[in-house]
Amino acid sequence: MKLSRFFRRRQWDEERERELAAYLELETAENVARGMTAQEARDAAHRKLGNATLVREEIYRMNSLGFIETLWQDLRYGARMLRKSPGFTFVAVLTLALGIGANTAIFSMVDWLVFQKLPVADPKTLTYLGMALPGGALHNDPQFSFREYQEIEQQCAAQFAGIAAAAFGGASGGQSSPDGLTYQGKTRSVQTYFVTGNFFTLLGLRPTLGRFFDPQEGQAAGADPVTVLSWEYWHSQFHDDPAIIGKTVAINGHSVTIVGVGPKGFVGPTPLLHIQAFLPLGMLVIDAGTAPDFLSKVDTRPLIILARLKPGSRPEEIRPALNVVGQHLLARYPRPDEKPDGMRAVQLRPPGLLSGTGMNPLVRAAAFFFTLGILVLLLACMNVANLLLVRATARQAEMAVRAALGAARRRLVRQLLTESLLLAFLGCAAGIGIGLATTRLLTTMHIPTALPLSFDFRFNWLVFAGAVVTAFLSSLVVGIAPALRASRAQMNNVLHDSGRSVTSRRQRLRNVMVTIQVAGSLSLLIVAGLFTRSLHSAEHSDLGFDPQQVTNITVEPNQIGMPQAKAEAFYQELLQRARALPGVETASLSAWLPMGDSQYGGPIDIPEIQPVPGQPHPSALFNAVSPGYFQTMRIPVWRGRDLVESDSAAAPYVAVINQAMADRYWPKQDPIGRQFSVSDNPKHPVHVVGVIRNFRMVDPYSPIEPAYFVPLPQHYFSTMTLHIKTMVPDPDITRQAVALVDSLAPTMPVTVESMMETLNGINGLFLFRLAAILTGFLGSLGLILAIVGVYGVMSYSVSQRTHEIGIRMALGAQRRQILRLVGRQGLWVVAAGLGIGMLLAFAVGELIQDFLVGIGPADAVTYTTISLLLALVAMVACLVPARRAVHVDPIVALRNE
Amino acid sequence: MPKRGAQPLQGEVLQGTLDLLVLQTLLLGPAHGHTIAYAIEHRSDDVLQVEHGSLYPALHRLEDRGWIASFWGTSENNRKARYYRLTPAGRKQLSVQTNRWQELVHAINRVLRPASE
Repeated sequence: MKLSRFFRRRQWDEERERELAAYLELETAENVARGMTAQEARDAAHRKLGNATLVREEIYRMNSLGFIETLWQDLRYGARMLRKSPGFTFVAVLTLALGIGANTAIFSMVDWLVFQKLPVADPKTLTYLGMALPGGALHNDPQFSFREYQEIEQQCAAQFAGIAAAAFGGASGGQSSPDGLTYQGKTRSVQTYFVTGNFFTLLGLRPTLGRFFDPQEGQAAGADPVTVLSWEYWHSQFHDDPAIIGKTVAINGHSVTIVGVGPKGFVGPTPLLHIQAFLPLGMLVIDAGTAPDFLSKVDTRPLIILARLKPGSRPEEIRPALNVVGQHLLARYPRPDEKPDGMRAVQLRPPGLLSGTGMNPLVRAAAFFFTLGILVLLLACMNVANLLLVRATARQAEMAVRAALGAARRRLVRQLLTESLLLAFLGCAAGIGIGLATTRLLTTMHIPTALPLSFDFRFNWLVFAGAVVTAFLSSLVVGIAPALRASRAQMNNVLHDSGRSVTSRRQRLRNVMVTIQVAGSLSLLIVAGLFTRSLHSAEHSDLGFDPQQVTNITVEPNQIGMPQAKAEAFYQELLQRARALPGVETASLSAWLPMGDSQYGGPIDIPEIQPVPGQPHPSALFNAVSPGYFQTMRIPVWRGRDLVESDSAAAPYVAVINQAMADRYWPKQDPIGRQFSVSDNPKHPVHVVGVIRNFRMVDPYSPIEPAYFVPLPQHYFSTMTLHIKTMVPDPDITRQAVALVDSLAPTMPVTVESMMETLNGINGLFLFRLAAILTGFLGSLGLILAIVGVYGVMSYSVSQRTHEIGIRMALGAQRRQILRLVGRQGLWVVAAGLGIGMLLAFAVGELIQDFLVGIGPADAVTYTTISLLLALVAMVACLVPARRAVHVDPIVALRNE
Repeated sequence: MPKRGAQPLQGEVLQGTLDLLVLQTLLLGPAHGHTIAYAIEHRSDDVLQVEHGSLYPALHRLEDRGWIASFWGTSENNRKARYYRLTPAGRKQLSVQTNRWQELVHAINRVLRPASE
């Protein structure tokens, strides 16, 4: 068939009509000539020709693509049906959209975590090296010295096409905070990465601007003051200014020249953490924690080693050779604290280098979310299927009539499937919109931490295809049962209006589905309730200190290259001036914030306690604070004395310990006057001079760990926080504090937040809040689905029983009796759902037990409140149709017969 | 009107056969639907009676395949009518189909002969 005919088939049909008319005219004329009357002649001609319309239809069909034609018909009809019941359409599309949207967002996350490759050349052949733990697992924390790197590079030349090394910047004395980049009098934070000269060549990258490093750069300490910025950092901090190449900036107070800008999208081989400036390895000395001779030190191991496999080579094949090199290294540079199981090369799996051993934890998290998403989608599908079932039964009469008029069953199924496909398409479109918005929200979500984290959940074609496939599958899942059911309608039953007596079996399927929905919704709601209650109790948990009216001002003198002696004087001055500010009650300094990004601690030696092999070594958390810290935090000193100004660098080493430490290591004894020492550097005895009440340092839920506090002058840290407590809430204190820092140390970057904001950080309440919001959202979704389900089934059931109810009322049944009759059925379904949902929630509660604060996983209040709430809502959903049943006019109901 | 003794084979005309008949009719020259229908009836001594309407889808199909072509012309009594004529491809098709038909008839006759004697 010619395609042009398809498009001109209407015109073609008109021509056929004229042709047939010509035939009739001719035949009539001949008949008249044979002697018939005009009327007879016309009738005879028509008889001779047969059914002209049928002929035209046959030709018309020959000119059309049958499949497309009927599809178009079905679509138009489906659209009309959907428009006729906007309520149903809205609920069904919204339900599908939420399900698909949630999955699209989750899938874009999974896509980034599992499928997206590092933006480097041939990522499959890129590996990282490491000493395997006993058992063979490999962790990829930095674990090589520069000497070891040089040996590996030499001895593994046969196994690899290239080997490079890299080290993170921004670590000093156990603290980790980004470095500072000063340009035109302004210092901003920068996450640095120090790499060997061949790093970029190994990864196969090309600079956007300028150059990368030369192979010989980075071999000597402090010798090559150049840097390459990441494209993203250049874009956000230097506004794509190409003139930046050749400019000199200061990193941690050391002059370096910007020589290049990296390729767009490359932010280092480690996911999440955004590397903003690359420097030659030898420049690592500008980090305050790095010794000037680190390149020749054998016990300093800051390096990560990346290696490119030779073409066609596989990590398993070179394992024996690597083991030989590994054994050699271990003999030459012993690692007394480790028992490595040989050296390994492991493929750098997407999305890149992650710390930790075994399975990629991000992948595991993704799998968890994926499961949740699929569950929500299933609930949504079940709901829409239920709605369609209800509609299908309501449309039995229509289907029967169509079947009676000659529609084939296959044709009816196709018609109904097209309708659900149309629904799915609308749901898919809306769902992709929701997914996009959620994805954007996830990407731009502010995570309260000082580290530059970057997410890259992109909406791409793979994600789009995923959404479309999801929509298509859900439409089939949703549509097939109702379509088969409706098309099977027994013509006789329906047309004789006795169909309503045979619906009980169908009703059972719907009841089961509603039961499952109520159960799913209840368990989701209970989980949401548990998290909300947990957030509430975390917010109101006794922190052991008073965060009110405390402002935290954090600075890092290293960022502008301020040496220790100057920094100590700066801190002293800062503290004095802060205390003199108007309205300030107390002010103090500390090295670590409660519930901040990290805490510090380690093993300690206590003369009274002999370490037992196999038992954990005594350990404690640790903080360096100025006098007045405990007043600022409103933490009472229970025994002995507070730290005072006279606890100087020259005075005996002292510490104040918390009650947990006293209870753990000196139970039922007086800890005052006892001593302990820190196991590693610096090893000197510390005298306990006081005991303070416990307060929460790590997070709001874990048991309180032993902790001790030493005076600042006896233990220097670079990054410090100034805590200012004002007498009354004072919004101006932030500005005053920043001005104060600026007057003492211009260009020093300052982070200011209230203690309440600190508490909402990633180790504080942030995750509680996030969990409460996410599960609350899923719970509300479940609630809506359950209400729609219960309401739909109940109102359908009532409409089916109108006749029966009419008879009962005609026979004298009271309204109350009818109400009870209808309500009972709904309540059974709801009660069963609640029972199953409770069991489900118990199971889930066990899983999330560890994240709950102040309540058990079987929290009675949550279970009772949520169950009652859901029962109440379900009751209302039952009662609305039941009330309609009561108002049935018996006369009308019976006249329907 | 059908002649006595020869029962008309109404509605039994095989589809392919109708094509063959139409092509054969057009071998004599262009004709419109009315003429073709009557020609088939007359030439078969009224044994083959097509419902004249069913002729038109067949004509459409043949034209679709490029075996015949159509044009609007004026009929013998000065009326507008759609004429069909044989194309070179149609002429070739006619000889192919005629041969096949002959083979079929021979084959069927061979099968029938022993039984009829």
